[in-house]
Amino acid sequence: MRLLYSREAITKMQAVILVVIIIAASVGAAVYYGTLPRPEAQPIKIGFIGNLQSPYSLSAKAAAQMAIDEINAAGGILGRKVMLIIEDSKGQVPKCVEVYKKLVMVDRVLAVIIAENVEMAVAGIGVGAELYPEYPHILFSTIGSGDAIWNHVKDNYDKYKFVFQTYYYTSTGYLTVLAKEQLPDLFKNTVHATKVARINEDMEWTKPIRYGLPGVAPPVREIYEQQGLTVVYETTVSRDQKMFVTIFEQIAAAGAEVIDCSVGYIDEAAFVKQWSESAARNIPLYIWGGLAGMPVAWNLTEGKVLGVMVGSSLVRVPITPKTIPFMDNMVNKYGTGPIFGSHTTYDTIYGFKKAIEAAGRVDDVEALIHALENVREVAVLGTIGWHPRYHYNLPYPYYITPTIQWQKNGAMVVIWPSNLATGQYKSPAELRGG
Amino acid sequence: MLELLQSIIVYSFVFGSIYLLVSLGFSLICGILRIFHLGYGLSFVMAIYLTWMFMTELKLGVTLSIILMILVQFAVGMLIHWGIFQRYLEEEEKLLTLSLLAYLVFAHFANYRYPITAGVHLPTTIMYGALSIGVTTISYQMFIAAITAIFVTLVFVFIFLKTKLGLIMRAVSQNLRGSMLMGVNVGLTYWYAIILSTIPPIICTLTIAPFWSVDPFMGESMLSIAILIAILGGLGNLKGSIVASYAIGFIHSVVSFVYTSRFMGLVALIVTLIMLLVKPEGLCGAEKLW
Repeated sequence: MRLLYSREAITKMQAVILVVIIIAASVGAAVYYGTLPRPEAQPIKIGFIGNLQSPYSLSAKAAAQMAIDEINAAGGILGRKVMLIIEDSKGQVPKCVEVYKKLVMVDRVLAVIIAENVEMAVAGIGVGAELYPEYPHILFSTIGSGDAIWNHVKDNYDKYKFVFQTYYYTSTGYLTVLAKEQLPDLFKNTVHATKVARINEDMEWTKPIRYGLPGVAPPVREIYEQQGLTVVYETTVSRDQKMFVTIFEQIAAAGAEVIDCSVGYIDEAAFVKQWSESAARNIPLYIWGGLAGMPVAWNLTEGKVLGVMVGSSLVRVPITPKTIPFMDNMVNKYGTGPIFGSHTTYDTIYGFKKAIEAAGRVDDVEALIHALENVREVAVLGTIGWHPRYHYNLPYPYYITPTIQWQKNGAMVVIWPSNLATGQYKSPAELRGG
Repeated sequence: MLELLQSIIVYSFVFGSIYLLVSLGFSLICGILRIFHLGYGLSFVMAIYLTWMFMTELKLGVTLSIILMILVQFAVGMLIHWGIFQRYLEEEEKLLTLSLLAYLVFAHFANYRYPITAGVHLPTTIMYGALSIGVTTISYQMFIAAITAIFVTLVFVFIFLKTKLGLIMRAVSQNLRGSMLMGVNVGLTYWYAIILSTIPPIICTLTIAPFWSVDPFMGESMLSIAILIAILGGLGNLKGSIVASYAIGFIHSVVSFVYTSRFMGLVALIVTLIMLLVKPEGLCGAEKLW
C-alpha cells in the first residue's frame, strides 16, 4: 500500500520493474511481427458470395474452388497462393450486403465474386461503391445477366469502375447478337419458320427484351420484324406460374411456326411437359436458357423435352481445350455437374489471374482494373475478356453458348454454331414419329 | 367466339377438377377436426419423394413404391394427429406452427437429399398423347386427372351421404358435444378423417406429376390453392369446395384466354376477396361438412 500510494518519486525497485516490462514488450513485439509472413508472401484472397441452398450457386462455388485449386497447384499468381473465402447469402439481399462488408473490410479480399441473380449483384454494387474509396477491390458478377449491372459502370465509370460482369449473354448481347443475328438465322434457315410466338418471363432480365434498350435496340419483337420474321403472338408468364396449357392453345390458334421463349427461371419442367402434349406440340420450341439446357432435363420431363431447342453451355463439345476437362473435373473431383454460372465463374477467375500477371502487382487496384479491361484469356466457353469501357464480358464470337436440340434417347445434339455442330435439326413431329 | 367459349369450358372443367382434388383433403380436415392444417402440403411432397426414394434406393418397382408410400403417409398422418393435433388442439398457435414446421422439415430434407440435379420424377403417366375436344386439345393425362378427381369426389360424397362412417363424421363436424353424447368415438373418427384426408393429395400428385411441377417445395403452391378454395367455398364445407374449385377453374380459364395467364391467380384472389366481403361465410357456408 505504501508502495502504491507514495507521493515520492518512483523507487529504484519500481524503475527496474518498469524497464523489464518495456524490454519484454519490445522483444515480444519484435518476435511476433518478425514471424508474420511478408505482405508479398501472403495469399491473394478472393471472396465468394452465393446462395448455398441453390444448385447454381453451389455449382459456381465448386467451379471457383476448382479454379483456385488448379492455380495454386500450378504455383499460384505471381508466386502467391490464392485463397477462396466463401460466404452464404441465403438468397437474401441484407445477408448479401452483410457478408460483402465482412469480406472486404475484415477479410480484406482483393476481389468479391457474387454468383447470384441480378438483384443480388446490384445490392453488392451499392455496398461495394461505398467501401471502394477506403477498401479498393474488384467485384465480379458471374450469374446475373441483366444490364442493370454493367449499366452502373456505363452511367458512372469513376464510381463503379471496380465492377465487372460475366455471363453467357447480357441483355444487350441478347438484343444485339442473339435476337438480331443468331435466332433469326436459326428460325428462318434451319427451322424454316417465319411466324414466331414469343413468351417472356416476367423478370428484370427480360425487360430490355420486352421493351428495348434506349439507344441500343428496340424490343425483340421489332428486331424480329426487321429481320423478316412475324410475331403472331406474345405473352408474359410469371415465375411462379404452373399452368401453361392455355398459352399453347392460343399459340396454335395464332398459327405460329416456332415458339421463342425468353425464359430461364420459370418452372421449365412443367412448361415443357405441358407443351409436349398440347395443341402446340408440333410447333418447334426454342428456350433461351435454364433447366431445359441441363442434362437432368431429360429425366425430369420423362423425355418430353424431346425436340426442344435451348441455349446450353452444359453440352460436351470442345469449344476450347479447356471445355471438356472443366466438365469432367467438376463431376469427378467436385461432385457436381456444371450448371449455368459455373463456366462464367471459372473463366472469370482465370481472366482475373491473367490480369494480375499483366499488372504485375496486386496492391494497385486501379492497375488491375486497367489490366482487366484489356485482358484476353482462353476460357471454357471461348475467350474471356471484358469491354474496356462498360465491363461486361465480350459476347459471341468471343463467348459461345451453343444451341442444342434434345433428340432421341436424351441426346443433346449441338445444332449451332456450325463448327461445333454434332447433328442436324429435326422437327418435333419427326422426332416423335420416328 | 364459339371456339373461345369451347376452350374456356373445357379448361374450366380441367382446372376445376384438378383444384378440387388438391383441396379435398384440406376441406375434410377443416370440416371435421376444425384444424387449419398448414402442413397440408406435406402429403404432396411425400407422395413424390417417398415414392422416388423407394424406387431409386430400395430398387422397388413403381407400384410397390406407391403402396409403401401410401402406408408411410397413413403412419405419418396418424403421428401428426397424435403428436400435434391431439396435443395442441386447444393451443392454436402451437398447432399451426408445428404443422407448418412438419412440412418445412420434410421439404428441406427432400431438397437436400434430392436437389434438382437428381432429376426426380414419377413415371405415373397413364396415357401419352393428346385428345381433341372440338377445337381444344388437352393431354390424355390431364383429362384422366380431371376424371379421376370427379370419381374421387363422388366416392367421398357417397361416403359422407350414404355410409355410417360418413354420417358420423358429419355429425362430429356439426356438433361435437352432441356426437359425444350420442356415444360417438370422436377420437377414432378423427383417426379415420386423417387417413381419408391423405388420399386425395396422394391421388392428385400421382395423376398430375406427369404435367405439373415436381419440387420439394411444391406443397406451398398446393396449400395456397387448397386454402383459396376452402375459404371461397366455406371452411370445411365439401359442397363448397366443389363449387369453389370450378369457380376458380372458370376464372383461371377466362382470364387466360381473354386476357393473359399471367394474371389468372391475381384475378382469382381479387374475386375471392370481393366474394368474402359480400358473403364472409363462403359460398356454401362454413363449419359444416356438407
